[in-house]
Amino acid sequence: MEMLTLSHIAKRFGEKQVLRDVSFSVPEHTVFGFVGQNGAGKTTAMKLILGLLTSDSGEITVNGMRVHYGNTQTNRFVGYLPDVPEFYSYMTPAEYLRFCGKITGMPSKEIKGRCEELLRLVGLEKEDRRIKGFSRGMKQRLGIAQALFGRPKLLICDEPTSALDPAGRKELLDILVNAKEQTTVLFSTHILSDVEHICDEIAFLHDGRIVLQGSLEEVRKIKTTAAAELELERLEDSQTLSSVFPHLKSIGRNTLLLEDAGNLPDILYYLGDKRIPVLRIERQEASLEELFMEVVGK
Amino acid sequence: MSAFLKKEWMELCRTGRLMILLLVFTLFGIMNPALAKLTPWLMETLSESLADTGLVTTSVNVDAMTSWAQFYKNIPVGLIIFILISSGSFTAEYQKGTLIPVVTKGLSRRKIVLAKAWMIFAAWTALYWICFGITYGYNAYFWDNGIAYHLFLAAALTWLFGMWAIALLVFFSAVSRSSTQVLLGVGGASMGVYLLSMFPKLSAFLPVKLMDGMSLLQGQNNPGDYFISIAAVGLMICLSMVLAVVFFDRKRL
Repeated sequence: MEMLTLSHIAKRFGEKQVLRDVSFSVPEHTVFGFVGQNGAGKTTAMKLILGLLTSDSGEITVNGMRVHYGNTQTNRFVGYLPDVPEFYSYMTPAEYLRFCGKITGMPSKEIKGRCEELLRLVGLEKEDRRIKGFSRGMKQRLGIAQALFGRPKLLICDEPTSALDPAGRKELLDILVNAKEQTTVLFSTHILSDVEHICDEIAFLHDGRIVLQGSLEEVRKIKTTAAAELELERLEDSQTLSSVFPHLKSIGRNTLLLEDAGNLPDILYYLGDKRIPVLRIERQEASLEELFMEVVGK
Repeated sequence: MSAFLKKEWMELCRTGRLMILLLVFTLFGIMNPALAKLTPWLMETLSESLADTGLVTTSVNVDAMTSWAQFYKNIPVGLIIFILISSGSFTAEYQKGTLIPVVTKGLSRRKIVLAKAWMIFAAWTALYWICFGITYGYNAYFWDNGIAYHLFLAAALTWLFGMWAIALLVFFSAVSRSSTQVLLGVGGASMGVYLLSMFPKLSAFLPVKLMDGMSLLQGQNNPGDYFISIAAVGLMICLSMVLAVVFFDRKRL
């Protein structure tokens, strides 16, 4: 079943068209990566899903129910971590989580257990200071705890890893992967290695449009004809080779780049025939980075 | 809703707002009789220098009425301080974005408005009657409250005026983004009402009439004179609350 669907969503702020005809859907129990540059419209799309903004056209459903602006019933299924989470600074983390439990209508016995469990999960169990003195990373941890509190069917995280140190980032990604068993995760990021680590499906948002979408494998396959790199032992050999095969590009002292790997057998034949010593021939993997750069046109 | 009310209470206590307000209203409560008590002494010490300027002071007669006159002079200042301190109740949350996790957990917006309004109404009620109680106690001890007519009714009218101002505060909090806008709204509306009350024909309908508790104490006015303005204010409070709920439902947080 689809946990979340957006169909033909458009949104403009004054003169600026932030989203134009955005459609995608997120199946249950997947981690969906929402990738885009800063200002691509990721946060706007998330706020539309949460009913915090009105869309100009199109329809959004969460768990089969339509999202309405303002008081939306669908928020009962959702846990949300904002990009810069802000909480009541005069509360301690445990007090804040208890407050969250109460407003979701959880029985108080369950609240206590859930509180301890989540504080342990995000590593804040020993923190009894008030939130006022928290760093951004600590707020982010509390943010993920409050988002998961009501066992939401859909967890929406807006750039959850951006404020964290490498260790914290790894922990958070682990939390998201583990959460997949109970919930569906939609998270936005511009850090592509995060996407490669944990996502099942991704969508690239650029200039208000979805420019690329699919499972991680599908997206990778789009760029199959990856390039090959050749490193030769002697400088004069590389010069001879590039004069024979003019489409070879020199990218280092003795290193040549073959952009179309289809020509590789010809070159190998030539190398064998002339007995040219080779240090290294390497097929380049298509990275998401390159793919991303390609789709955003840079 | 009780969870949100508890949070509001915690906010009031832990941010020190309750402490400041309690201090202000207690101080006002004590100041009213104290000023009345000190007036003869002040006049006496000043009489010599006044005599030099040609003013002759006679003995001043002080009673409970002098103290109540102070009360009705000071309470508008108390109300202004109360409004100033409460003006950020909604807007501080808009600016920090602290309501977003709450709303996205599915707490209905209506409950948020009502809990906040309830807390402000309750705080005003408690603080006002504390101030009144202190003045009443001192007055009974020093003089005799019996000389004032309709003592409690007059006090309730001024309290109701405060409730009207708070209802406006809640309404303006639901429609505007910053506490400055809220204060301008409440201030502007009060100013407008004061200006309108200059027309004698209108004054009976306006909330400003409620602030004239002294005339009731002195027996110049009858309780019946206030009925229309009580009804009008009641209506305006209800209207403000309904509009606040409607606008807050559509508000971009």
